[in-house]
Amino acid sequence: MNKRFKIGIFDDEEKFLSSIRSLKEQKLSIHDVFTPYPVHEVFHLLKRKSRLPTAAYFFGLAGIIATLAFLYYTSVLDWPIVYGGKPFNSFPSFIVVTIVITIFTVTIASLALFSARSKLFPGRDNTIFDPRATDDKFIIVVESDGVELSASDTAGDIMKQLGAVEVMEKEFGNVNE
Amino acid sequence: MYNKKIRGPLVEGNKTLGQITKDVILPMDVRPGMWWFIAFGVSLLAALFGGYAIYMTVYKGIGTWGVNNSVGWGWEIVNFVWWIGIGHAGTAFSIFLLILRQKWRTSINRAAEAMTVFAVLSAALFPALHMGRVWLAFYIFPYPNTRGPLWVNFNSPLFWDFTAITAYLLISASFWYLGMLPDLATVRDRTTSKIRKALYGFFSLGWTGSSRHWIRYESLSFILGGIAAVLVVSVHSIVSTDFAVGVEPGWHTTIFPPFFVVGAIFSGFAMVMTLMVLIRKVYKLTNYITDNHMDAIARILIFISLIMGLAYLTEIFIAWYSGNEFEMFTFFRNRITGDYEFQFWGMIICNAFIPQLFWFRKVRRNWIWLLVVSLSINVGMWLERYNIVVTSLSKDFLPSNWVSYSPTIIDIGVFVGTIGLFACGVLLFMRYIPMMAISELKSVANIGSKKED
Repeated sequence: MNKRFKIGIFDDEEKFLSSIRSLKEQKLSIHDVFTPYPVHEVFHLLKRKSRLPTAAYFFGLAGIIATLAFLYYTSVLDWPIVYGGKPFNSFPSFIVVTIVITIFTVTIASLALFSARSKLFPGRDNTIFDPRATDDKFIIVVESDGVELSASDTAGDIMKQLGAVEVMEKEFGNVNE
Repeated sequence: MYNKKIRGPLVEGNKTLGQITKDVILPMDVRPGMWWFIAFGVSLLAALFGGYAIYMTVYKGIGTWGVNNSVGWGWEIVNFVWWIGIGHAGTAFSIFLLILRQKWRTSINRAAEAMTVFAVLSAALFPALHMGRVWLAFYIFPYPNTRGPLWVNFNSPLFWDFTAITAYLLISASFWYLGMLPDLATVRDRTTSKIRKALYGFFSLGWTGSSRHWIRYESLSFILGGIAAVLVVSVHSIVSTDFAVGVEPGWHTTIFPPFFVVGAIFSGFAMVMTLMVLIRKVYKLTNYITDNHMDAIARILIFISLIMGLAYLTEIFIAWYSGNEFEMFTFFRNRITGDYEFQFWGMIICNAFIPQLFWFRKVRRNWIWLLVVSLSINVGMWLERYNIVVTSLSKDFLPSNWVSYSPTIIDIGVFVGTIGLFACGVLLFMRYIPMMAISELKSVANIGSKKED
């Protein structure tokens, strides 16, 4: 289904941020914003949060337990061998492998989660509202469908007033979140 | 946090965001100069020579190498440790400087990470070849097998080493690739060629620069950076346990893990400097990789060089202080004097003395000096590994075991081959991947002129 969007293009970070603030004050819902580099102010304004660190912690925990369990199973239960008179469960020398495998698990699992949550994977065709967002422009996208016509126009006016170099309305099919 | 008045701007020349994109992508858009094709040809020849040497090694066995019953580890292990050391630069650079919030890493981290990946790949070749029967290399994986199942020895440093290096290779490659995503998208959105659009579009995974992407991207970078920092320290510590757990005189010391880690970062930073001096010269990127950047790396190198000097002195002191005659012999009769004195003094001069030239501001700001000193550090670090591996093995406890060691043409061939492989990788990287992290450069371009600092 095609959807209409109001797109404001800025070439200055400050003007871009003040537009977001003002759109928020007017209670206009912002679909998303696109920037060439991470702007931390945006995360605060749009209340973007990431729970990846929490997930990574649990991946780590799972990694440690799984590795130690595997080492215990192979060295104590399945085929115990005495190496240099050490006990079968020679925990201190298992630590090295455990650390490395844990780090490895956290990395791969976090990457996979990042890919799934952000919907970034090979062949993915995310909607590009304006290709200049990866170059030097800051872009605000406001949904025009489902809101009153006047609201969408107000959003355009606000962005223009606060220094957008260009404001346009465009239609896109199959917009991904 | 970053004081521009004292340390100078991170990006010189008052670049706009658009200019940064253009400047960094330019080398990918234009046909490279003749030098690139010549350099690539030479590297390819070197890699082919290496291919021949590897073929001979696999076809005839490791009898084609200079190793013998006493010196069981020769050039291959020397080269392995040397390459792994160089491979620490990228992660040391990006990760330590990332978690310390040092913004000057931005112009250099991409190239340093690329170097890491190619250096670790080169390093990984050696232990695999050293197994002799390469086609059975998979035996080192702890997989359920029909021999019992008989598991590998989880208490062995050699197994730890295998785990650490495999993990390190995969993790540094993922970190490198993750950092590349926004820049690949930039290339995709700028190019007019259809093939490029499809290719870079595929590899940029649909990156759009949305705030939802950025926040997850940033937190993922910090997670990976934070945990990989532990890995950087542990990888070379584990490599050092390959030696420290052995009983050979000169190996069996507790100083090895920190000594190896510091040495690895030393050679890695030196290699970063060598490459950066050349890249900024050839591609005229002095506005991005400024004299201040080189200055900062040079200062780190003096500091590490002093630690290395101290470590060498500590080793010698402990050999004497222990009163152990085998240790005394190894250090005083077989390193400081004796058959391997050239390697020993070469190592001392290259690693502890020559880098002291960086105390002079003129040296830190002259590209020829930077190149000379950084290359000499790399030679010095190679000699250090030679010193550790070969001297201890050649004359151990029993004089009847004493032999001398010299490499064969096949040994040299494998080494030259890995240098060729590394150089090919770096040259292709310069041609097809944005050499600097464009998005990160943009975020620091205005530092010092805005309220955020």
